Amino acid sequence: MEMPQRGNRRRALAVAAVALLALGPAAITPSTTAPAAITPAPAAVRPAAMAPAAVPPGARAPAPTGTPAPDGADLYLRTCASCHGVQGQGTQRGPSLVGVGPASVDFQLGTGRMPLKDERQQPTRHEPVFSAAEIAALVDHVASFGGGGPRIPDPAPGDVAAGRQIFAANCAPCHSATGSGTDLTNGLVAPPLYEATAVQIAEAVRVGPGPMPAFPAEVLTDRQVDDLTSYVRLLQSERLDVGGNPLGRLGPAAEGLVAWLIGLSLLVLAVRWLGTRADR
Amino acid sequence: MIVGRFVRGLDDRLRVSPVARRALAKVFPDHWSFMLGEIALYAFVALILTGVYLTFFFEASTADRVYEGGYAPLDGTTTSAAYASTVRLSFDVRAGLLVRQTHHWAALVFVGAIVLHLLRIFFTGAFRRPREINWLVGVTMLALALLNGFTGYSLPDDLLSGTGLRIIYSVVESIPVVGAWAAFLAFGGEFPSDEMIPRMFVSHVLLVPGILVALVSIHLAILVRQKHSQFPGPGRTEHNVVGSRFWPGYTLRTLALFAWVLAVLFALGGLAQINPVWLYGPFEPSQATSPAQPDWYVAWADGALRLFPPVEFRIFGHLVPAPFFPGVVLGGLTFAVLYAWPFLERRFSRDELPHQLLDPPRRHPVRLGVGVGAIVFFTLLVLAGADEIIARLLRVPLADVVTVLRVSVLVLPVVAGLVAYLVTRALRGGDAAGFGDLTRAELRRAATRRRTAPAPPPVSAPAEKATGREPGERVEVWPERGVWRWRYHAADGGVVLTGNRAATSEAAATTAARTAYPGVRTVRVPGPGPVGRSAPVRSGLRRWGRRVAWGALLAAALRRGRGGRGRDRRG
Amino acid sequence: MTARRIGAAFLVSTLGAVGFATTYALGGNTRWEGVSLAVAFTGLALGLAIWARRLIPTGGHVEEHESFSPPPQERALAAAALTTPDSPPRRRGLLALLGLAVTAIGAAALFPLRSLLPYDRTRPQQALRDTPWEAGVRLVDTDGRPLRPADVPAGTIVGVFPEGHVDTGDGPAFAVRLDPRRFSRPPPAGDLDGLVVYSMLCTHAGCPVRLYLNGTGRVLCPCHQSSFDLLAAARPVSGPAARALPGLPVEVDPDGFLRATGDFTSPPGAGYWGRP
Repeated sequence: MEMPQRGNRRRALAVAAVALLALGPAAITPSTTAPAAITPAPAAVRPAAMAPAAVPPGARAPAPTGTPAPDGADLYLRTCASCHGVQGQGTQRGPSLVGVGPASVDFQLGTGRMPLKDERQQPTRHEPVFSAAEIAALVDHVASFGGGGPRIPDPAPGDVAAGRQIFAANCAPCHSATGSGTDLTNGLVAPPLYEATAVQIAEAVRVGPGPMPAFPAEVLTDRQVDDLTSYVRLLQSERLDVGGNPLGRLGPAAEGLVAWLIGLSLLVLAVRWLGTRADR
Repeated sequence: MIVGRFVRGLDDRLRVSPVARRALAKVFPDHWSFMLGEIALYAFVALILTGVYLTFFFEASTADRVYEGGYAPLDGTTTSAAYASTVRLSFDVRAGLLVRQTHHWAALVFVGAIVLHLLRIFFTGAFRRPREINWLVGVTMLALALLNGFTGYSLPDDLLSGTGLRIIYSVVESIPVVGAWAAFLAFGGEFPSDEMIPRMFVSHVLLVPGILVALVSIHLAILVRQKHSQFPGPGRTEHNVVGSRFWPGYTLRTLALFAWVLAVLFALGGLAQINPVWLYGPFEPSQATSPAQPDWYVAWADGALRLFPPVEFRIFGHLVPAPFFPGVVLGGLTFAVLYAWPFLERRFSRDELPHQLLDPPRRHPVRLGVGVGAIVFFTLLVLAGADEIIARLLRVPLADVVTVLRVSVLVLPVVAGLVAYLVTRALRGGDAAGFGDLTRAELRRAATRRRTAPAPPPVSAPAEKATGREPGERVEVWPERGVWRWRYHAADGGVVLTGNRAATSEAAATTAARTAYPGVRTVRVPGPGPVGRSAPVRSGLRRWGRRVAWGALLAAALRRGRGGRGRDRRG
Repeated sequence: MTARRIGAAFLVSTLGAVGFATTYALGGNTRWEGVSLAVAFTGLALGLAIWARRLIPTGGHVEEHESFSPPPQERALAAAALTTPDSPPRRRGLLALLGLAVTAIGAAALFPLRSLLPYDRTRPQQALRDTPWEAGVRLVDTDGRPLRPADVPAGTIVGVFPEGHVDTGDGPAFAVRLDPRRFSRPPPAGDLDGLVVYSMLCTHAGCPVRLYLNGTGRVLCPCHQSSFDLLAAARPVSGPAARALPGLPVEVDPDGFLRATGDFTSPPGAGYWGRP
């Protein structure tokens, strides 16, 4: 049983444990002075390398030279017209696109909700089917049907404290104060907000996709949308979970499950071991 | 040596040695289920320790306060002092968040351990005479634990708990005749009143914990006075307790459990985020967050509120609102039945005898059936409390989940209870060793047989008669360095049990032995013979298995700390 | 061997404590604080547990358990001690008066409990019925700005509050604009060109029904999932709520702002015994 090799290994383990315990905190903590100061990083407001789709419509850059500019009309006829009609007038399978606005088209295509595979279900977030240039071309083509509608917003960095209040008043009821989203009866779901880009957040606020209410300029000013977008971008960050694993940010239901499955299980297992005789 | 002098000095003044001698030798049964209550006890100690630290930083007031600190989204925001101090505690007080989270985890574990302990007492019949008083004390402590859990959950004045408080207010309001007055009396006015937080704080840190400490003391004092009950076994009778002595073995074991409870709670407090009030934001009457659940121990009531149909009616023009039945009646009935159970069972089983030997759960079909039914019922209600999360995880419409739960909460407890009852009856009536050996015929017989005389025959009487008849069974008494000791030998020689403490005379030793084993032959021997107890033999395989299990647990804990996050997010 | 293992466990425990102190001194980090404390206590637990199980024999002891019903003689002695000739229970008359006095003190002690009611002595039934809304009170948003009908376009939901009472518990309401042709029942408080205002408090347990499903005209309660159909006078359509949301009658004042013409059509929020 007592072999020199084992003793050495154990000693090495002990040394490693000392190092871990003593140096681990040191390696982690010195950068932050306060226990966990949460400030919005500038990069959090705008996604690194803004998606081309986020360029405001007026200042749309021409397609990169070398590749031919995608033909919006052709793309539309091939992938959208079967449901939304050749002139965007809508059919039995899909609603009219006249007057939905560039923000709506960009949001639906940019989040991969459109084109839809099964029209009976609420569209959910996917990898976008089209490239950024193709989406831009489609946005232009749908805009040509007329009707105006909300334009693609260009959210600027805002005040997260003001944004938090706007979020709590208008968004938290459905998307949860933690951004986790919830079930809305009828099989509808308010999706989690963790993957949306700044532009997509602002677009959704202005457009109100699906069952979501829209918040046009009469309700929230551009400035307020900037604040809101900044806060949601910060809310997406795991840096807010200073207390450890966020358990899906689902609240007391998940906490109760962990208390039973981990806390009480560990305790009962220990008790089963401690409470029986060693010679059994 | 200093310790020795101190103890002697104390003994000279208080004469503690007779008491200490008995206390140190108190025998604790060696069965794991007897330690479930200790988990609750140590969680309670952890709650007090962490809670005291929290009171240094928490400000129980609804007065306006501007939060200024490390959490940017709230920096400069005016909130209630209670909320602002909770956020400060979490972000700007070192170790504050760890202690706060540990306190909350300890509360969840505390109530869970109480429930487990209660189930053990229930299923083994440990509440029977003479232990009814301790059952009542225990049920009262459960009720107080629920109350204190809820007030603690509500104190930070965050959006989620404020919503829960509003629900409780509505439930109190729904009581016929006195509801509105009761709500005003308890909350100091219309919701949300400025009195709520200070009142809940006093009740949370002073009133209820004070009562709990007193009740815990009574609970333990009665336990010591009445001594432990025990499961039947060789050498165990209605007149003795078999197990380990408090000192030294059990002391170390229970201290190990204490340390382990603290370890688990601090691990949870440091690695798993609980109640992130900074994300929820301060409570505003017009704001909401969803999903909205209470802590798990209140979730059964919340689930009942969700499942109860939209039924309201008027009595002589007065409204009886929908929350009354699931909120007030169900809770009241639950605790009424809990309180009354020992007396109900005594009445229906006509069993007035005191019991020190426990029923193995399968010996008592009715009790087992009722218990299983209750567990299923309340588990379904807790699930119903999270119905919108279940609907989302299963990707089914919420209405369907509610319908299924509404039906199953009425049907499944009855079905589960009946199945448990029949299986137990078949096990008791037939000669199957376990559930797997049951034959269909035995089950059928259990279902059709008419109720026989009140279920289990009193275990004690025949067992006693039997002892002493066996030729080999005896109690040995011998002198040892000025004191007398005794030892029980079972008939087959397999079980040897030593009296837990020495006696000053042979007569005293014999009296103790005769009390523990009435009717057994007592013989005086020159000294203790060799005991054929086998030393602990354990295969290397088992030892390795244990090591692997511990390693896996550690690895899982580390992974939870690091890995799980990305996955959780995609949701 | 065993002793060495126990010693190692206690050393690990010491290391955990050192780790905790280091973490704290370096500025604190919840995760490391928790882990180091957990290590400290795990070491303690393991050491003690191995000690108890390996170095000390478990079990093998028996303690006598005397009966708790005392012998009749003992009980008789206790009874005799209680009922000596000078024992108070023998003076029945005095005892009755003593009981009376104690009961009176107990009853008198209950009176100050009334002070737990609101100090301004509002009667619950009235306080629960009345809200800050009355004729002429303007509708404002969260920031206290008065609202015009144009501030509530179709397809959105706006939280509205009685001017000067944004934080009250029973005042919150919401405004939405619907297509009047889709009303299957007329709104209880009328509508302004499709604009309707309802109490935000669920009639089941008072939670804010703020989850608006645009297009279906339904609002949903986050607490117990009651939903209300705004196109049908805010009747409950699913969940445990049994009553419709109270409506708020509104008009446009001469300055073009929205204002109430009275209180809600019925008391807002959860039901109670005296609710009209």
